[in-house]
Order: sequence, then C-alpha cells, then structure tokens
Amino acid sequence: MNKELLRASRQKGVTFGIVLIFLVLINFHIMAATMFSKIMGTNVLRGAIPEVRFLTYFLTLFGIWVGWTATSKAEKAGTRVLQGLVAGLTMGVVVALFDLILVYLVQSKTDIRRYVTNLGFDNINFFLQGFGANGVLVHLGMFILAGVLGSALAIFFQSTAVKGAAQSVKTAFSEMNSRISQNLPDQVKKFGKYLFYLILLGMLFMLPSRWGSYYNFVFGLVGLYVIAGIGLNIMLGLSGQFVIGLAAFFAMGAYSVALLNAPQPHGLMWGFWPALLIGMLVAVIAAVLLGLPTTRLRGDYLGIVTLGFGEIIRILLKSDLLTSFSGGPRGIQDIKGPTLMGKPFTDVTYMYLIIICMAVTIFLYYRLEKSRTGRAWLAIKEDLIVAQATGINIQKYRLLALCIGAAFAGLAGGIFAARNLFTGPNDHSLMVSINILSLIIVGGMNSIPGILLGSFALKGLPEILREMENYRLLVFGALLVVMMLVRPEGLWPASRPNLEKETKEKLFTDGTSEKGGKDA
Amino acid sequence: MPDTIIETKQVSKIFGGLTAVNEVDLQIPEKSIYSIIGPNGAGKTTLFNCISGFYTPEKGQILFYGQPIEGLSTDIIAGSGISRTYQNIRLFGNLTALENILIGLHNKLKNNWMDAMLHSPRFTREDAESLREACRLLEFVGLNGFGDYLALNLPYGMQRRLEIGRALANNPRLLLLDEPTAGMNIQETHVMTEFIKRLRDELGISIILIEHDMKVVMDISDRISVLDYGTKIAEGSPVEIQANPRVIEAYLGPGGAALAEKFQKQRRKSHA
Repeated sequence: MNKELLRASRQKGVTFGIVLIFLVLINFHIMAATMFSKIMGTNVLRGAIPEVRFLTYFLTLFGIWVGWTATSKAEKAGTRVLQGLVAGLTMGVVVALFDLILVYLVQSKTDIRRYVTNLGFDNINFFLQGFGANGVLVHLGMFILAGVLGSALAIFFQSTAVKGAAQSVKTAFSEMNSRISQNLPDQVKKFGKYLFYLILLGMLFMLPSRWGSYYNFVFGLVGLYVIAGIGLNIMLGLSGQFVIGLAAFFAMGAYSVALLNAPQPHGLMWGFWPALLIGMLVAVIAAVLLGLPTTRLRGDYLGIVTLGFGEIIRILLKSDLLTSFSGGPRGIQDIKGPTLMGKPFTDVTYMYLIIICMAVTIFLYYRLEKSRTGRAWLAIKEDLIVAQATGINIQKYRLLALCIGAAFAGLAGGIFAARNLFTGPNDHSLMVSINILSLIIVGGMNSIPGILLGSFALKGLPEILREMENYRLLVFGALLVVMMLVRPEGLWPASRPNLEKETKEKLFTDGTSEKGGKDA
Repeated sequence: MPDTIIETKQVSKIFGGLTAVNEVDLQIPEKSIYSIIGPNGAGKTTLFNCISGFYTPEKGQILFYGQPIEGLSTDIIAGSGISRTYQNIRLFGNLTALENILIGLHNKLKNNWMDAMLHSPRFTREDAESLREACRLLEFVGLNGFGDYLALNLPYGMQRRLEIGRALANNPRLLLLDEPTAGMNIQETHVMTEFIKRLRDELGISIILIEHDMKVVMDISDRISVLDYGTKIAEGSPVEIQANPRVIEAYLGPGGAALAEKFQKQRRKSHA
C-alpha cells in the first residue's frame, strides 16, 4: 500500500475539515441549510434556524466531496475506497475536535459571543445536530460514511463503462445532429434561425410585462451593466486600455439626466431624451480630456490614472464645494423620467428601453469589431509599437475607443438615474467600476455572450440570492478564484472569425458581390 | 544609374556614450536588393530603426524620394510607403493570419468608425475589396488555406512569410527585411531567397536586407554595404565585397585577410 497516496488523502481531509470549521465560524452552514430547505420547498423565516436534516444534507455533501477528490484515478478500486475512508476519517477527526471544544463551551456555559459573534448556544446545538455531546460521534461516523460513499461515486462515474456509455450517447447525438443539418435544405436552416430569433424576440417582448417588477428591476440592472460592460470592453478588450474608472463616465450620464430633469438644485426640465444625449456627449468630452494626456500611458499606469479620475469625479460630486451645483452628498431626488404618450415610464417600459438600448449597443459593437477600426484596435492591443509601424495612428484610435466606450457608459448611467428617480455620489463609487471590470473578465473579453453571462453572474445572481447577503463578497471572491483556475479566459471566451473561409465562400464563388470590387 | 529611392546622408545614432551608427551614407537604387551586412552589434538594426522611424537620428538626413523623413513617427513613414519586418518575428499573435494582413491593409482603406457603424456604401465596398485583396496576398506568400489559423500557431517559416505579407499589404515602395532567413534550414532558406527575388522582379519593390547568411547575401544582392562598429567600411557588388580585405578583417579580426587568402589558395588546390 502506498503511503504517499494515503498521506495526500489525509491532507485533503485536514484541509476540508478546516474549511468546514471556518464556514461554521462565519455561520455559512446555516445559510446553506436554509438554501437546501428552500430547494426542498420548506420556507424558512429570515433569521430563523432551519430543520436539522438540511444541515445533514449539507455536511454529507461536503463529506462526499472530500471522498471524491481524495481518490486518485489511476489506482485500483480497493485503494480508492481506502483513500476515501482515510480522507473522511481525517475530516471527521478534525471536525470532532472542533465539536469537543463546542461541547465544552456549552457545558461550562461560557458565552463566547463577545469574540465569535456567530457561536451562540442555539447555533452550536444546531451544528451538533441536536445530539449534544453525542454529536461528536455522529459527525465522526457521518464523515467516514460520506467519504467512502464519495470514493464509491467517484469510482462509479469515472469507470470506463460509465464513461464509454456517456461517450457513445454523445457521439450518437452529434451524429444525429450533423445528419439532420446535412439533409436539411438551406431554406429550412435559415427558417430555423429566423424562428429562433422570433422566439427570442417574443420572449423579450412578453417577459417584462409578465414576471413582475422585482425581476424587471434586477434584469434592468443587468442590462445596464451589459451596456456599460460593452463600453469598457471597447476600451479594454478591443483597444487594450486598462481603464478602471468607468464609473466616472457612468456618473456623467447619470448626473446630466438628473441635473436637467429635477426640481432641485437647478429646476431645469429639459426632458429626458435631450438630457440623455447631453449626458453621452459630456461623457465623450470627459473621455477626450482624460485621453489627450493619457494616451501615451500604457498598462497599469493608465489603470491608476483612470482609477484616480473616477474617484476625483465621485469626490467632487460629494464635496460641499459643489453642493449648490450637484446636490452634494445627498444627491438629486425626484428625477423626472421619460414619458410614453403622456404617461411616465413604468418598470415594464424601462425594461423595454433597456432591452432596445442593449440590442443597439450589441449591434454597433459587432459592426465596429468587424471593421477596419476594430482591427486597428485589436492590433494596438496586441502590439502597440508594431501597430504604429504598420501605419495605424495609435493616439487617434485609442482616443476613439475611449470616446465610444464612454458614450456607452454615459447612456447606461443616464437610464440608471432616471429609472431610480435618484442619483447620488454613492451610485458611482469605485465598486461600480470594479464590478464592470470584473464582469467582462469573468464573462470573457470581447465576447458578447460572455459579457451577458458575466453581467448576470455578477449583478443578477447576487440580487436574486439576497439570502446570501453577508456572503455575497465571499461567494464573489470564490467565484473569481475558481473561474480563473477553471476557465482562465472567461465563462464564454471569444473566438476569432474564420474570415478566409467566409470570404472564399462569399466573394470568390458568388458573382453578385463581385460588383463591389469593380466600383473601386 | 537608376533613380535613388532612399538616401541616408551622414546619419548618426548615439546611445549615451555609444555611437551605434556613425555618419553612414547609403544610396539605394530603385527596384534593387540592397544588403547590409556586418558582425553582431555593427549597427545594422539600429540603422533600420532610424529609417523606419523607431529612432530619430542625432545627425544627418534620410531622404525618401528626395523628401526628408527622419524624425517622423512610424505610422506616417509606413503611410509614405516603407514597410518592415522584424528580427524576432512580431506578428499579432492572437489574431488570425488573415486578420494580420487586413491590419497591414489599414493605410490603403479610408472608411472610419461612422462608416463601420452605419455600413455605408464606402464601407461595404472597401470591406469586400480588402478581404479579397488579403486572400490574394495570403496566396502570394504561400499561406493559402492557413488564413484562419492564429498567427502564433503557425510554423516558423510561415510566420516569417506572413510578416512579409503584412508588410506587403501596405503597398510599400521600399521593404526593410531584418534577417528573413534566420533560423531556417537550407530548404526553407532557398524558398525564402526565391520569394525575395520575386518581390523585386514581379512587384518592383526595392528591398534593403539585413542578413547573416553569406550565401543568401551573395546570391540575391545587387549591392552590398558593410557596417562595422557603426561605420560603413565598404560598399559594392557581391564580387567586390568578397574580395575586400577590410571586410574580411572586420569579420575575422586583424590579419584575417591574409589568413583567408591562404585558405582560399588551399581550397583551390584541393579542388584542382
């Protein structure tokens, strides 16, 4: 028997045990149990402790996980079970030691909530699953069983038989798929594509009026972050400029709409649409002012300058100096939004507005990316010096990317302010910039599906998972780390277009497009 | 004497205390292959960088069709019709081969971001035209069918040719090639040599070449200049350069000329 293998399993057990203890210390197990109970259909009141069996599910899953990861694929089944057993046992022992401390605390009636807020007696009893001191033995047994079960599951799912079956199903499916697509005439294929878009359009039209204002609020926010994210992607993903302070441009749009459509502090009522355009214009002017001195900066230096720029804008808006102009720390209330046939916009109309703006932004982004301009940006991102020596005016193109990106961010900000009827300095904090930056990195740079996914994962999920309020940042961080390890290029990475193939299919065989060449 | 395409007059480039290029005079005739050779560190690449605008020479003038270009930025020089390749290949690695060539076409096209957003007639025409032109260039450099590969995934020889393809897309009158056959085997070198000749004969492009492979240099050059410690020590046809004792000494050290003569006599004897 290989001692090395068992030592590795033991280390896994210790690690998982310690992780579990930390999770308990921050009360994560109660939240996990609450979520299990919700999934099973039993609602738990806010702040209440759920049923014990849901905690058992959580702990068992954790044990199965350690058993699964502790087994090494190359070994025989017997060894693997032993590995799972050792990992489960070690984890059980670690947790049992922790349990003993908890039991001692309960029996000596020491209230350590002054130091560890979450370790109240209720919570301790809950974690011991109501067994009191016997909980130690229960945990030990449970983790050993779970570890063995985990290794057994790993053996089963990684066995050649199961894998072979999955593989054959997969090949059969793809074969069927290709046969269908081969035999279908082009018209039908095209029709299928249009049908897909039609259904998508129908869904986008139907959903906002059906699913209620809460989801409109959440998905509207996701949509606004998509627009801003595409703006940042033009700066960072296409032209390679590391801009952190995107919130500054977002704030320009928001404050332009707010100042021109609120009773305080100026009492101007210019209407939403001109204000939105002015907001985008102001963002572009700010981008030019920021860009002229900084287009020579590269990489981290540009990041720091833009970070400072974003903070300066926020602090200026917050300062007493400008209170009479921008409302100061209290922000601007009662912003008058757009109207549709005399009626003010509702959450549903706002959702439509956001969907339309998002669609236009995506459309423009695709057109820009597949053009001379987009390729010049990509060249600048790849190698600034060579791009310039190839004849690209890098100052001009970097500034252009900043301006277009800023305009998109300003658009998102304007709608954001009108939809909230309020905007203040705290809406444009550094966290906004960082959120937008992370959403394109998590989703996948230069990839629209990636940005949609990333925006949903970073803005939509946390809103929906309000239960996890306290753990939001924890999950956020964990998600980022896991993603960087598992999918370093983003959830849905971009791929380069097959231009040669397309060109040969379109331009060399097709007689009609030949006309374009002759005009030249 | 054919027309001169580019001329350097007393060009000097100084880094701190080091004079990398020292008062070099060159006159490159049109539609010719002009080689610059010299030992490592002789200032050949520095001279290239001065011509293509990466460096501004401290002294002297560079005249392209009689117009001074020294000190202009690289994009303007590229726009005026001078393209170059790099000693260590510098492609846009994460873009496809075809996209690399399309980027090379940048100067020829006029459409801007507004055209791209609105798909104006100018954009539609130029887009189709540029794609077709890029495919043609891809075929010219022998990468037909490899256009959709990422540039960094191409084999070494193809990367070299793609780099030349990108330079050609700019429609240059003058092409600067920095060691185009470095790291190639005999077969690949031969293909590259023939390719460079085609550039001159078919496209009528003037070429300045930095090369260490003497067989290549002597085979394809119309004229050769030799640099040593930043100074031009000789200029002439391949035959003249081969016989020049100063050149031999620059490569082999003092006394090298006599040594080389002895060696050649021996070789002639053994051949006879």
